[in-house]
Amino acid sequence: MKGLLLKDLYMAVKYFRVYFLLALAVAAASFFVDGNPFYIYYPCFVCGMIPLSLQSYDEKSKWETFCQALPYTKAQVVSGKYIFGLAIQLLVILPIAASQAFRMHQSGTFSWDIYLTMMGSLVAMGFAVSAIPMPFIFRYGVEKGRMAQYLMIAIFCGGLVAASIWFGEALPDVRTFPALPLLVFLAAAGLYALSWYLSIVFYRKREV
Amino acid sequence: MNALEIKDLCKTFPGFTLDHLNLTLPAGCILGLVGENGAGKSTTIKLILDMLHKDSGSITILGRDNQDNIRLTKEDVGVVMDEVGIPECLNAKQVGNIMKLTFRNWDSAVYNGYLQSLSIPTDKPFKNFSRGNKMKLGIAIALSHDPKLLLLDEATNGLDPVVRDQVVQMLSEFTRDESHAILISSHIVSDLEKLCDYIAFLHKGKLLLCEEKDVLLGKYGILHGTAAQIAELAPEAVLHKQGSAYGVEALVIRDAVPSGMSLSPVSIEELFVFIIKEAK
Repeated sequence: MKGLLLKDLYMAVKYFRVYFLLALAVAAASFFVDGNPFYIYYPCFVCGMIPLSLQSYDEKSKWETFCQALPYTKAQVVSGKYIFGLAIQLLVILPIAASQAFRMHQSGTFSWDIYLTMMGSLVAMGFAVSAIPMPFIFRYGVEKGRMAQYLMIAIFCGGLVAASIWFGEALPDVRTFPALPLLVFLAAAGLYALSWYLSIVFYRKREV
Repeated sequence: MNALEIKDLCKTFPGFTLDHLNLTLPAGCILGLVGENGAGKSTTIKLILDMLHKDSGSITILGRDNQDNIRLTKEDVGVVMDEVGIPECLNAKQVGNIMKLTFRNWDSAVYNGYLQSLSIPTDKPFKNFSRGNKMKLGIAIALSHDPKLLLLDEATNGLDPVVRDQVVQMLSEFTRDESHAILISSHIVSDLEKLCDYIAFLHKGKLLLCEEKDVLLGKYGILHGTAAQIAELAPEAVLHKQGSAYGVEALVIRDAVPSGMSLSPVSIEELFVFIIKEAK
């Protein structure tokens, strides 16, 4: 599988280095901007899309077919994309986590509940962006899988708007529910694992 | 040992059926798969590699069933598809680095040797390669991990005659080792005629013929004559006939034609065209 990861690395450096640097720049800016979630979530959102775009390039270049002639199982092909996605998320989340901890500490507003909830939701965001459309992409190909991706974005944005309208000021305070960060993280990890498993099952059935 | 054994292989798509295909490729030999577009050549190669799921039948590669750890089997198989699926941004050097981590027996020295001998640019991105260079890179990859079996799907298409000849020589050299074998499909029947020990004709998913090339060339001949001369022959002697302004040309079985009649040798390409016309 190392060969697949190296191929994805070459492609990511070629096609997505600007996106990645932009995501890091926005993540760095989050240190100076207090309380604006855009600067925290946007980098994870952008980097979560990279594995999907890589799969799209694979399909366009016929690598997907060529790869089936190489000594890789379909499970390895799928796993390569998920592992690469995890590595990219880690590269973005770690600096954000460090800068936010430092910022909160400097401003005297550090609270483990809020910090861990923020990190949990950050991981959830990064995972969900690729975890939801990936099984569709591996089942139906990139074109149809993209539709699932757009649907996911619409549901996510609609959900945020609906939550702010319905709950408004009454949004639950994380300090009253200390297990929330862990639950959010576990839900995100569970979603990613389920997506990984489903992608393997679907891809095994698909004829490329 | 046979390098490849296909028994009663069936696969149905909407509008196409590969119908109980039986093929055997002995080690040390080259089998040419000839057929029109849509005859089932690529489907057969994809089924061998388990890229498509067969409906029924069995496929044995180098003594191993293709459903039994195909990943391991693919270590010993070199493949060139009709389109070499290398990502456009990669260059040949990067492809070599990827393959080094892909195949256990990858030999970088052999790969670099092929890049040099086939004049494949090493630093140019794949998207800027000509069709010929793309196929040459595919062939270099297929040959650089000590494969025992080569599966080539239209691999000589798009190559200029000089390079095609070079590739044909490389493939001939590959089968000097008696444990090596090649299954090659091509439209360019003249290449197959030069290369192959066995020829198989596939038409609309059915195997029309599979025979040793020399046996085929010895068995059939072309008779040029008048309609009356052809009509005198036993019906089983004539496989196909076609008329023109200059007379009638018939594909005949040499042994079934009375001695004394002058027959021209048949090429594999002519034989293919006659047999396909007859099948239609």
